[in-house]
Amino acid sequence: MPGFVTPDSTTDPDLVAAYRSGDERAAAELVERHSAALGRFLYSLGADRDDLEDLVQETLFRAFRRVESWRGGASFRTWLLTIGSNILRDQVRKRKGQLVSIEGRDIPDQADPAADFAAGEAEDRVRQGLATLPRLQREVFLLRAQEGSDYGDIAAALGTSPGAARVHYHNAVKRLKELVR
Amino acid sequence: MSDCEWLSDRMPVVALGRDAWSADEVRHLNECESCRREWEMVEVASRLGEEAGLSLDADAIATRVARRLERERHDVGLRRRAWSFAGLAAAAALVAAIWTGGMESRPLDVRPSGTEVARRPSIPLPELETLEPAELDSVLQTMNEPDVNGGEGDDPALNDLNADELERVLDSWEG
Repeated sequence: MPGFVTPDSTTDPDLVAAYRSGDERAAAELVERHSAALGRFLYSLGADRDDLEDLVQETLFRAFRRVESWRGGASFRTWLLTIGSNILRDQVRKRKGQLVSIEGRDIPDQADPAADFAAGEAEDRVRQGLATLPRLQREVFLLRAQEGSDYGDIAAALGTSPGAARVHYHNAVKRLKELVR
Repeated sequence: MSDCEWLSDRMPVVALGRDAWSADEVRHLNECESCRREWEMVEVASRLGEEAGLSLDADAIATRVARRLERERHDVGLRRRAWSFAGLAAAAALVAAIWTGGMESRPLDVRPSGTEVARRPSIPLPELETLEPAELDSVLQTMNEPDVNGGEGDDPALNDLNADELERVLDSWEG
């Protein structure tokens, strides 16, 4: 599949349509476009870094296998990320709560303000805070903060209303502000 | 919508570099500690896992995904062919069953089964009932004697008799 060059102007729906009509290279382009964002999203949701490549691969495989079910209600990427989230949740269930394993990591001493602002430490704290959020809040927050998705797109992907997605986002922000303080 | 809510909703797009703060918004951020804290948190979250995502080998993933999809298509093709074959075999078996079923309905063997014999009404033969076991055995033995002439079950000697002679023979059997 690699080695295929697609103009940047080609949209995701165009590529999906091309793949549906048998163009394998369109799938390669979609993987190229979305695998990094998918990996970042799954990592932020609590996936182990060692599992990331397998999770991304599994997500893309399942997405292409049932690509007919993507009707364009949500963007292709948002749809992909929610599939990844479901796969991660299944993996966590199988491993019985590995998602909380990041809580066991070394977190900088909160009494040390200088350490708090170190980039890596701040990321760890946000990630740890995210792990404590209810699933919907976590997903809505990340889709908005990392992808800049609007509430309509998020709602379509998660099967909720834009208003409810907005409430989830603000609840997540409120809790994270307290946790990451 | 308050200034804080307005800013909160705009934070992700600004953090992702798709928009910029206006002068008024910057002023609000400087004055509102809650919004500033939120902004710092959203900024961190927007970059979260960036390195992990970028470290993935997209080409390798694309190749593996393509291989799995190809293998699955192959497996699905095999399964379809297997089902087609099974369907044909089942159809052939059905046709054969119907064909031979018609033939089986013909009376190939008219000999009654043991159950059928048992169900039939018994024919009273009072003369035989009066015989002693040894005498009955002797009579049965004469009836079971093999046909030495190689006949097909019917006694040719009886066939040669006329009605009167046959009646006499039967009378002699019954005493």
